Amino acid sequence: MSRLFEPSTTALYRGDLNCDVLIIGSGAGGAPTAAILAEAGFDVLVLEEGDWVEQGSVRPFSLEQMERQYRSGGVTVALGLPSIAYTEGRCAGGGTEVNSGLYRRPPAEVVERWASRWNIRDLDPDRLLDIATEVEEAIHVTPLPGPASRPSEIMRQGAAALGWRHDESPRWMKYPDGNPRHGERQSMTRTYLPRAVAAGARIVTGARVEHIDIDGSTGRCAWVSSAGVRGVKINFQYVFVCGGAIQTPALLQRSGLRRNIGNSLAVHPTVKLAARFDDEVNVPDDVPVHQVKEFAPDLSFGGSASHAGLVALSLLDEWDSFKSAIEEWRNMAVYYAAITSEGHGRVTSVRGLRDPIVTYRLTHRDRELLRSGLSRLALLILEGGATHVYPSFRKAPIVRGRSDLATLQSRFSALAASIMSVHLCSTVPMGENADLCGADSHGRVHGTTNVFVNDASLLPDAPGVNPQACVMAIALRNARHFVDNNGGQR
Amino acid sequence: MVQSHSPTSAVATAVASILTCDLPGLPDERRESTVEFIRHRFSTLPHHMRLGVSLLDRTMNVVARSYGSERFARLSRTRLPVIAEYFRLVRSLGYAFVWETWPDTASDGTPK
Repeated sequence: MSRLFEPSTTALYRGDLNCDVLIIGSGAGGAPTAAILAEAGFDVLVLEEGDWVEQGSVRPFSLEQMERQYRSGGVTVALGLPSIAYTEGRCAGGGTEVNSGLYRRPPAEVVERWASRWNIRDLDPDRLLDIATEVEEAIHVTPLPGPASRPSEIMRQGAAALGWRHDESPRWMKYPDGNPRHGERQSMTRTYLPRAVAAGARIVTGARVEHIDIDGSTGRCAWVSSAGVRGVKINFQYVFVCGGAIQTPALLQRSGLRRNIGNSLAVHPTVKLAARFDDEVNVPDDVPVHQVKEFAPDLSFGGSASHAGLVALSLLDEWDSFKSAIEEWRNMAVYYAAITSEGHGRVTSVRGLRDPIVTYRLTHRDRELLRSGLSRLALLILEGGATHVYPSFRKAPIVRGRSDLATLQSRFSALAASIMSVHLCSTVPMGENADLCGADSHGRVHGTTNVFVNDASLLPDAPGVNPQACVMAIALRNARHFVDNNGGQR
Repeated sequence: MVQSHSPTSAVATAVASILTCDLPGLPDERRESTVEFIRHRFSTLPHHMRLGVSLLDRTMNVVARSYGSERFARLSRTRLPVIAEYFRLVRSLGYAFVWETWPDTASDGTPK
């Protein structure tokens, strides 16, 4: 497929650049912000650290995708006991280009809790749901046009057998030929970024912002490196930092802003298992759309990508006992249990280190929830027809029936498990509560006049669902508030 | 025996040894490709992780050269924090690469 437009790095070699609004990051926060502000008449420049990668040019969930579209090849870890592996998108469109594409509306009760506890002005659940509806149209949120994949049906069947609440999660996809296997992801490079460019925004890829000069309470310029060239200066009137829940606080800290910045990282920790069936079930390059919400928001179940390499990864922790299963990978699928964690983490930028240090601490309740979650997930998949279940932790048993679940529970230790997360948020929580919040009710960093955050960092805590809808709805809300207060149609 | 894998063996002894112990049927050229992949991924780790892994990698290279393959294989099953994480990282990257690149590989690394 041809490019919608050509992102450029050449502009950075022409000396200092000027813009009304500098937007750092082009993912679920940055791209809608760019579109709204450009359409309001602002001169918008978007800087993206990663490359522009056309959809279809790389196999989904592959190592090549990890290499080209994830930060550090997808090998990033929040240190702790246990450490938690996480991933960050690093490409034009950010995480929207590489994630599962499963959509969940912002839960009203979560939005109400955020507004109340963090004292967020004008955060009305009904209004936010209206914006979510707008998002759904823009990114074409839709159910599958046909039957779900086998791994997805297995979840549905297992939940139905147990009487557990479950549903199909719609996705931001188009299905041009009506085939549910031929979806085209309506990510930011297909939706909001082209809108921003059509309205006059400039997008530069391969450009990393090293720090922002802040004079008193006012941001003046950003210092950028690109393709080996350092010290490119970009002057702005306003800056929106939208680098995601790890890079946004890291950049703010490098720029001297630290109050309530980076010390409240929230994630959805997950544990996983591989399951084996009598027949071929494997779908290498897609994920199940059914999710089980019987124990939500504390605990949710879903399916992962399951090509042979990922099946091998799931068997790794108890390889000596599990390894023969890898030869049956076509009969296998990988599933996860995700929890809403009470623990918190930190993002700390250290002078001399290019990347921030990330830490996370699970609470006792989190560990117990992971234990019960993995056991319930194993039960669910057994009811879906699995003959063998291989939980991903050291000393895990092979679960062949309900009678093995007690052994699974007794042997489980979070310290011995492969725990990961793809949902990161809350490192610059928004609101007027001065003890908790790094930014005000619409994303302006406290203590500054023109430095804004507009990404997952603003979510006060983990929403218990895929956070992309929350991120996009809040980004649109805040961008429109900015336009209303800073003069659109200039 | 710990095998030699020129030209990468001088700097990838530990990684190659782990793969040799775990996947004895993996053909040499596949093992070398896997070692190259792991080394490349080491080089793209976040800064602080790269420093730590580089230090561990050098240490393990020395250990792998001085230990016999059996002792090194036992060491690679250690549960000691940090050291165990190094072996886990190598195996995660290596196994993912092997089975994504050659899905029809037996559990001992032999092509099917």
